Amino acid sequence: MYQTLKELCRISAVSGNERALGEKIRTLIAPHVTQCHFDTLGNLIAYRKGRAAQPERVIFAAHMDEVGFLVNFIEESGFLRFAPLGGASLTAALYSPVVFAGGCRGLLLPETESLSKPSIEHCYVDIGAKNAKEAAKRVRVGETFSLAPSLSALTGSRWAGRPLDDRVGCAVLIEAARQMAEPENDVYFVFSVQEEVGCRGARTAAYAIRPDYGFAVDVTTAADQPADKVSVTKLGDGAAIKVKDNSVICDSRLVARMGELARARGIRCQYEVLTAGGTDASVIQLAGSGAVVGGISIPTRNIHSAVEAVDKGDVLAAAKLVAALAECPTGQLVEGGEGRA
Amino acid sequence: MNRDIELLRRLCLLFGPSGCEGEVRSAIRESIRPCVDELEQDKLGNLIGYVDGADNSRTLMIAAHMDEVGMMITNIESSGQLRFDTVGGIDAAVLCGKRVVVWGHDRTRLPGIISAKPIHLQSKEEREKATTRKSLYIDIGASDRADAQRLVSVGDFAVFDSDFVRFGEAERRMKGKAIDDRLGCAVMISVLERLRAEGTVPPVRLAFAFTVREEVGFSGAKTAAYRINPSHAVALESTAIADLPDVSAHERVGDMGRGGVLSLADKGALYCRAFVGYALSVGREKDIPVQLKRYVSGGNDARHIQQSAAGVRVLALSAPTRYLHSASCVADLADYRAMQKLVYEMIVGFGRYLAKEDM
Repeated sequence: MYQTLKELCRISAVSGNERALGEKIRTLIAPHVTQCHFDTLGNLIAYRKGRAAQPERVIFAAHMDEVGFLVNFIEESGFLRFAPLGGASLTAALYSPVVFAGGCRGLLLPETESLSKPSIEHCYVDIGAKNAKEAAKRVRVGETFSLAPSLSALTGSRWAGRPLDDRVGCAVLIEAARQMAEPENDVYFVFSVQEEVGCRGARTAAYAIRPDYGFAVDVTTAADQPADKVSVTKLGDGAAIKVKDNSVICDSRLVARMGELARARGIRCQYEVLTAGGTDASVIQLAGSGAVVGGISIPTRNIHSAVEAVDKGDVLAAAKLVAALAECPTGQLVEGGEGRA
Repeated sequence: MNRDIELLRRLCLLFGPSGCEGEVRSAIRESIRPCVDELEQDKLGNLIGYVDGADNSRTLMIAAHMDEVGMMITNIESSGQLRFDTVGGIDAAVLCGKRVVVWGHDRTRLPGIISAKPIHLQSKEEREKATTRKSLYIDIGASDRADAQRLVSVGDFAVFDSDFVRFGEAERRMKGKAIDDRLGCAVMISVLERLRAEGTVPPVRLAFAFTVREEVGFSGAKTAAYRINPSHAVALESTAIADLPDVSAHERVGDMGRGGVLSLADKGALYCRAFVGYALSVGREKDIPVQLKRYVSGGNDARHIQQSAAGVRVLALSAPTRYLHSASCVADLADYRAMQKLVYEMIVGFGRYLAKEDM
């Protein structure tokens, strides 16, 4: 799993530029599903046919894209100015190496060192170019870039790097597809695009699939560090079952079912009530005539920085929970199978 | 005579924060079952009752949301006190010192109170600062974390614990929690009962949608509208009337006791002028008080319904309500009754309006 995650982290995929990553994921998941395709927006949809005569449709969505920046101006001096794509932390990005979609490397810098609260207008990227002409040969206006990818093990059981948001979710889906027994329901693993700029990909994917159930598999805040008074989740306490975040209130029947299923299978889990942030579950819930939704989250420290950190046990637990939900017999995900009302 | 007041009282006392509307839904389902030709519940938990019309090829949707603002437990302190987040928008100033009901394990109703540091212990700075939600907690009388965990979990819901009281001259004012939007639900139920009692066959098919999750913006009305696919929709709401002593007349939304408030524009939608005009004309013809919303503010389910599928002509009719999103919302009986009459008459005359609109 660590190796898969490392491979996924290595490929840049700032919102809107997810295709290369999608191709990689396709090769990894194809052996475990019935069919794969890319839709109009670029979502990769890996479909595993269910054996039930009248299967329900279940979506598990993890987003491929990562937060980053977009070059919008090249100074005469050869330095680059840029705009944000998604909520990257500028504080965490200062004095850091960045990588462009085209492969060029650079450094993200503030104009003055005393910038305690950096604003994007007072930052620039140095790609080592002598002037605008030389810079334009290596980077285009409109090209995206992000903090350099990395992944390392802090200890055997703690991994840190970027972009774990949400490559770790993608890796969880691939692992679940590998582990799961033949399902009764039709299972759709959706590797969505443009989540970081407003959950745009999952919206159209869900409209096309018309799922009965949808689950977002994404990172969540682990507010368990020294200055955190109130913890959301804790690293090492297991996969998080989402109850609510700023974008969705999960179906309470499904939340209860997920807890039961985890306990029955001995999967370590914790509940998550997040007072900020959002996931693809929000748009899946409201697509078309609606779906019953939940979320499986991976507790993560330092989200949107270059040193996002997760616990291996939580990641494995999340994969087991996804597999368990995918294997759940038709009509049993919520009491009385009310998903198909 | 007071059947409609009893109905509203009963609905307001039910437990139904956004995402946890089951108790409200069950009560409404039983109330409307005899009055509808078809009843369904969608995946999100919206309850939809259909009434067949003379022409079933078109549908008029009437919607009110079942959910109310509330709280969700986010953390259990070692002291046994509960940290919480609000579900829907609640000003921290109206939280402090209120009684709440927490739905604990197995839906046990636990009495609780929202507390903060008492004035004796506050520093001067603390006294001068506005209260924030983060400085508040719910006390359910637990002696420590283990004690609290036997009763509640992170993710459990709570709502205000507040009686329904009639007061003022001729007891015309009604106070309670969740008037937003159980009043809209009660109007719909009353209209359904009247249609059935008088044997009225509406000109088009009617879809009465009791929706979920309006207060958090992840509106169930959106998926309900997609499913119903109506040509027109009326959202029944409660609106913050703003008739406060220090608010000047032009900044007030309307007046208590002068009928339901029709919106022309709010932060979520521009309303269909022709449809609003129809509602006003029905009010004039049938001598039912109705007023226009003066101040552009707020937003409701109409915005989601309007943009559903290929689009819907929408109207919002709201009860003037004081102290919205608090434990004590106040509405006026005359407005409640005027809304019931207006909606009923709008349904009866809807065929003539459609004929004009189609020309």
